[in-house]
Amino acid sequence: MRPAVAKSGGVLASLYRQRGLVSVLVVRELKARYRGTFLGYLWSLLNPLLLLGVYTAVFTFVIPARVALPVPYPLFLFTGLLPWLFVSGTLLDAAVVLLDNGPLLKKVVAAPEVFPAVTVLSHLVHHLLALPVLLAGMALAAGLGLMRFPWTVVLLPVALLLWVVAVGGLTLAVASLAVHFRDLKDLLHNVLNLTFFLTPIIYSLESIPVPLLVKVVKVNPFTPLIRVYQDVVLMGRLPSLRLWLAAVVVALVFWLVGAFIFARLRETIAETV
Amino acid sequence: MSTPAAVRLEGVSKRYPSLTRRGRLHSFKGALLRGELWRVQQEHEGFLALSDVDLDVARGETVAVIGPNGSGKSTMLKLVAGILRPSQGSVVVNGRVTALIELGAGFHPEISGRDNAIVNGMMLGLSRAEVLHRLPEIVEFSGIGAFIDEPVKTYSSGMYIRLGFSVAVVVEPDVLVVDEILAVGDEAFAHRCLDRIATLQRQGTAILLVSHDLGLVQHVAQRALYLRQGSPVLVGPAGSVVARYRSDVASEEAGEEAQGGKGRRWGNGAVRMDGVDLVDASGRALRMLSNGESAAVRIAYTVREPQEDFVFGVAINREDGSHIFGTNTELDGWRPERLAGSGEITLEFPRLELAPGRYLLDAAVHSKAGLAYDYACEVLAFTVTAPVGWPGCYAPRHRWAPRGPVMSPPSG
Repeated sequence: MRPAVAKSGGVLASLYRQRGLVSVLVVRELKARYRGTFLGYLWSLLNPLLLLGVYTAVFTFVIPARVALPVPYPLFLFTGLLPWLFVSGTLLDAAVVLLDNGPLLKKVVAAPEVFPAVTVLSHLVHHLLALPVLLAGMALAAGLGLMRFPWTVVLLPVALLLWVVAVGGLTLAVASLAVHFRDLKDLLHNVLNLTFFLTPIIYSLESIPVPLLVKVVKVNPFTPLIRVYQDVVLMGRLPSLRLWLAAVVVALVFWLVGAFIFARLRETIAETV
Repeated sequence: MSTPAAVRLEGVSKRYPSLTRRGRLHSFKGALLRGELWRVQQEHEGFLALSDVDLDVARGETVAVIGPNGSGKSTMLKLVAGILRPSQGSVVVNGRVTALIELGAGFHPEISGRDNAIVNGMMLGLSRAEVLHRLPEIVEFSGIGAFIDEPVKTYSSGMYIRLGFSVAVVVEPDVLVVDEILAVGDEAFAHRCLDRIATLQRQGTAILLVSHDLGLVQHVAQRALYLRQGSPVLVGPAGSVVARYRSDVASEEAGEEAQGGKGRRWGNGAVRMDGVDLVDASGRALRMLSNGESAAVRIAYTVREPQEDFVFGVAINREDGSHIFGTNTELDGWRPERLAGSGEITLEFPRLELAPGRYLLDAAVHSKAGLAYDYACEVLAFTVTAPVGWPGCYAPRHRWAPRGPVMSPPSG
């Protein structure tokens, strides 16, 4: 058996060869999603804004959060929500993407890795489309003197790249496993819900009062990823070397494991979907 | 033969893992509980869909794959198309392969025909620029016209299929794999498809075709492969392979009928028919004969209780139960004397002028009063063929004689 690295390279090389098809399919996905919906772009913002509103209301008025933050709480929340919605949205789509494209896999010669890639990239586009709202909010808060506008935001592409690598690996794994295990989607839903609350999104790591809980949250592989993102995009501080390293390791492990699982199951996809 | 084959299959087998081994699709929960997460990897159990197929297809050659449902035809096409990998053996395809397995597969309903054509064309291996270059041809061939910019959810099923076919054929593949798609679409479009296939044949495209339309197979393909339960039965010139397949099908139907007919057999058993056969002049059993050929019904019998009152009868019926012909020894004036031991009686037809189609035969031996010794309904099925599909059930020798040069006689 070839080593996993070569196989993950295989997926990337195949996607690069078919970059034309992938980009056309991403455009098709976006067109299909927004066609016929008035103000389609605003719809894609509705979900994060709605969540933002609900959580802000709950943790400001109902259960005032004891989160000591140098930035307004809604901005902190929004910064965490955006990458989280990227990962959860992508993975939930990943669980059905190969089944939905079954006719193409079975009736037309199509490389299966194309479809998870399209899922990741179209969700990345949604993410990028939502970013201006966050940046505008930050600019507004900075203008009002509530915070300093973080210069570290120039490192956003690096933080985002880590997310894309991690999400890409998870998507490959979920997509190929979901072909064989049809109940993966239900399981995934629960796992994502649990992980959401174990990730410092609605709270910051510093505000957890119980040391044991801090440890649990730190073990969550999404924690370093989201902390790098929050530090760079909102907090205006450079993550420590340890934090960077943790995030890079998580991203690479997710990618390698995902690409390995996908490569092992790849041949069985067309005959199983 | 210096030119390499366009398609070469050597010892190809395909085994599908049995997904429904426990009657249900795998569940992740179940897999975790049983510790069988990697079970899907093991391929030595399962259903053998295709076994040990060898086939070469030359450039410009068309080979048809025929056989009953479930004989592995589609699996074979998918292996050639590269959708599936063989479990054993090798599949080598030289050049670009296009699969017409389901037309318009993967069209997205919400986006326009134009965008769908671009995506489909790219899936078939063209670059975006190449598809755009051929788009006018696609639109022209499909006859979709201004609808090309409408979302395909507004298309009729015919338009959908026409667009799918048009995209697939402008790709100009080196190898074309066609699965039973010419059965869809209207007559006019089917003709255009056949025209286009003929053009591709001239251009040197190797074509592998699955069809249940045996007439089409003989018309389009030079050679045919006959598969049965995944194994090759015969490869050879299309005409002779089709003939073999037809005769197998006819004898199977007859066999089923003989079994199914057992419930519709009655009598007191005083005389028993051991065998009822349709035979040719040399006494060989027939399941199939040409219109106007000679044939005979041969009844072999054994007598348990010697009889002096007996009548042998034969009837020919259509599958819908309508009577075509019936006679018995009494009607034809034969008087019974004494029946004992065992023997044979034959009803000869010098010319059996039945219209083409399938017929069922009843045979009986009974008393003059109608007491059945052995009465077998639908004991035998046979098929009559004819060069022309005359309707009805009677097709005598006939000739047209127009006065004056108003018509020309058929050629050949």
